Amino acid sequence: MNVDKTILLLKQGKHISEDTVYSLCLKAQELLINEANVTHVDTPVTICGDIHGQLHDLLTLFDKSGGVEKSRYIFLGDFVDRGFYSLESFLLLLCYKLRYPDRISLIRGNHETRQITKVYGFYDEVMRKYGNSNVWRYCCEVFDYLSLGAIINNKIFCVHGGLSPDVDTIDEIRAIDRKQEVPHEGAMCDLLWSDPDEVETWSLSPRGAGFLFGENEVNKFLRTNDIELITRAHQLVMEGYKEMFNGGLVTVWSAPNYCYRCGNVAAVLRIEDDLSKNYTIFEAVQAQDGVGNAIIPTKKTQMDYFL
Amino acid sequence: MERIVQQTDLDALSCKMAAVSKGYLPSKELQENVCGFSDYKTIHLEYFKSIMKNLGRRAQGQINRSLQSSFPVMNYGTYLRTISIDMVLHDYISNHNDDGFIQIVNLGCGSDLRMIPLLSIYPNMSYIDIDYEPTIKLKGNLLGNSEFFGKVLPADRYRLLSCDLSKHDEVINLLKEVTDLTKPTIFITECALCYLKDDDAQLLINSLISTYRKAGLWISYDPIGGGGEGPDGKDDKNDRFGKIMQSNLRETRSLEMPTLLKYRNKDSYSSRFKQLPDVNIDVRIQNLWEYFTKNISDEEKQRLKGLQFLDEIEELQVMQSHYVLLSAQW
Ligand SMILES: C[S@@+](CC[C@H](N)C(=O)[O-])C[C@H]1O[C@@H](n2cnc3c(N)ncnc32)[C@H](O)[C@@H]1O
Repeated sequence: MNVDKTILLLKQGKHISEDTVYSLCLKAQELLINEANVTHVDTPVTICGDIHGQLHDLLTLFDKSGGVEKSRYIFLGDFVDRGFYSLESFLLLLCYKLRYPDRISLIRGNHETRQITKVYGFYDEVMRKYGNSNVWRYCCEVFDYLSLGAIINNKIFCVHGGLSPDVDTIDEIRAIDRKQEVPHEGAMCDLLWSDPDEVETWSLSPRGAGFLFGENEVNKFLRTNDIELITRAHQLVMEGYKEMFNGGLVTVWSAPNYCYRCGNVAAVLRIEDDLSKNYTIFEAVQAQDGVGNAIIPTKKTQMDYFL
Repeated sequence: MERIVQQTDLDALSCKMAAVSKGYLPSKELQENVCGFSDYKTIHLEYFKSIMKNLGRRAQGQINRSLQSSFPVMNYGTYLRTISIDMVLHDYISNHNDDGFIQIVNLGCGSDLRMIPLLSIYPNMSYIDIDYEPTIKLKGNLLGNSEFFGKVLPADRYRLLSCDLSKHDEVINLLKEVTDLTKPTIFITECALCYLKDDDAQLLINSLISTYRKAGLWISYDPIGGGGEGPDGKDDKNDRFGKIMQSNLRETRSLEMPTLLKYRNKDSYSSRFKQLPDVNIDVRIQNLWEYFTKNISDEEKQRLKGLQFLDEIEELQVMQSHYVLLSAQW
């Protein structure tokens, strides 16, 4: 398998053979197994939120933010589900990881699990594209090895969802045995599922997994771990990003016009060497035949609207 | 153009079947216990089975695929749409059922089967379904040639009428023959007004309300485009939901919703029901996200959560904020 060639094919939305996916996933696993639960990343770095299979928007994202050949990236998870190109988006990120291991960190999102991908589209997409579920299984194996968080210059903590009542220190996250399907409760689950909200203390999440946490929990976590900021994704933000709690936490969302119908813009967050923040906002490009990064989207026959 | 609009009925039906097969509908708390009708699932499966036999292989395949991979956001939405209309109906009927007679007219009825539970619980109700001729013919055949529906549907109190809703005078003339103008009358437009031209819809609303001016209720469910001037007077031009919906529907199926961006918020949508100065009318409107957060009990929400994992709560909010339920009572 030739990584550069595969990258080229993926960028054109071309079919990747089952064998290629297999060896790609195997190599990725070998690489990811050695990464820590919380990887250390240096500035400058660009933090990206949910992608959800919107491949042409992912390509726009790289365009607008310098590209992996030049810049460092952290992806906060939710690479798959909902969009038409979950497989291609995830494989492209894996290829980049293999090709530029130090320039890209992939964090696990709550959609990177067997259970959720069966409901939200990735499984169906693979069945549609390959007629069997093998490729889905290979990818799910890789999901189990993705890290749970990242820390930038020891000052900015990155995670997909948020905090957990079972976690006070980042060291406790380092101690989790992450190589498994995401459990239904406990620290690992919460990190991938929780949401910030205007609450006094830990509260029940409307999602049915994870918790809601408020300014108090955030301040305590920042203090205890001597950090300045939590960056996370997980929630659709119409403006692309949202800072909360006096700047102690930020949500970054990187899937513009989510599900091809929400009408939101997307953002990525660049952290400079002095830890200053720069947001880049981008919109969905109309997919067009043969223009730029454009890929012809499969027309969706799915019922998208209530008619 | 007409065919494209008629086909939307299959979307509504597929959505409903998905919600039924995943257990969203019927709701024990809100449907079965309220009305005491327990065959909801059976009648839907029965109807669905026979309509599928009438479709081509491609349409069948499409429907089956969409049933298999129905997203929770969609099932929640179908649930909310169905339940909210049922609740308004039952509230009104239970308050206006003293003299024993009530009539319901479902405009753009499609494959909706609401009449079956309603007619079976209320012995003094008459029910009229109106849609385009092909839709009505098909529905008539499916119901008429079935032993099962012969038993559950009281034919003497149920009528299927073909008519183009954009011809309001024809609608009125047809209805005059089979209804009692002095009795309380309920009109339902569930995703029907949105397919009409602005003027046609307005004439339909005005003429029906004035013809049945004695007492009545209009229940309407439709998408609203959002954006433009927000409901609180604030400019909400960042909201592009309606624009995107319009272009998606155009591109993927050449479907038009002429008033989506005109009646883009709750106020402007309601204004269509306040055009008659001499009719005293009480108009209420909620978007379906408000309905979900305020009108659905915690137990019911808990039940829904157990059916499928709803991860996409923000998306649900975006979608449901762009659908409204209006009830106008006069
Ligand atoms: C999306 S379906 C909704 C069906 C049903 N009300 C429901 O919610 O399940 C819209 C229906 O309205 C009907 N319709 C739309 N415009 C119409 C018109 N001008 N005259 C008659 N029927 C119309 C269509 O044929 C179709 O059956």
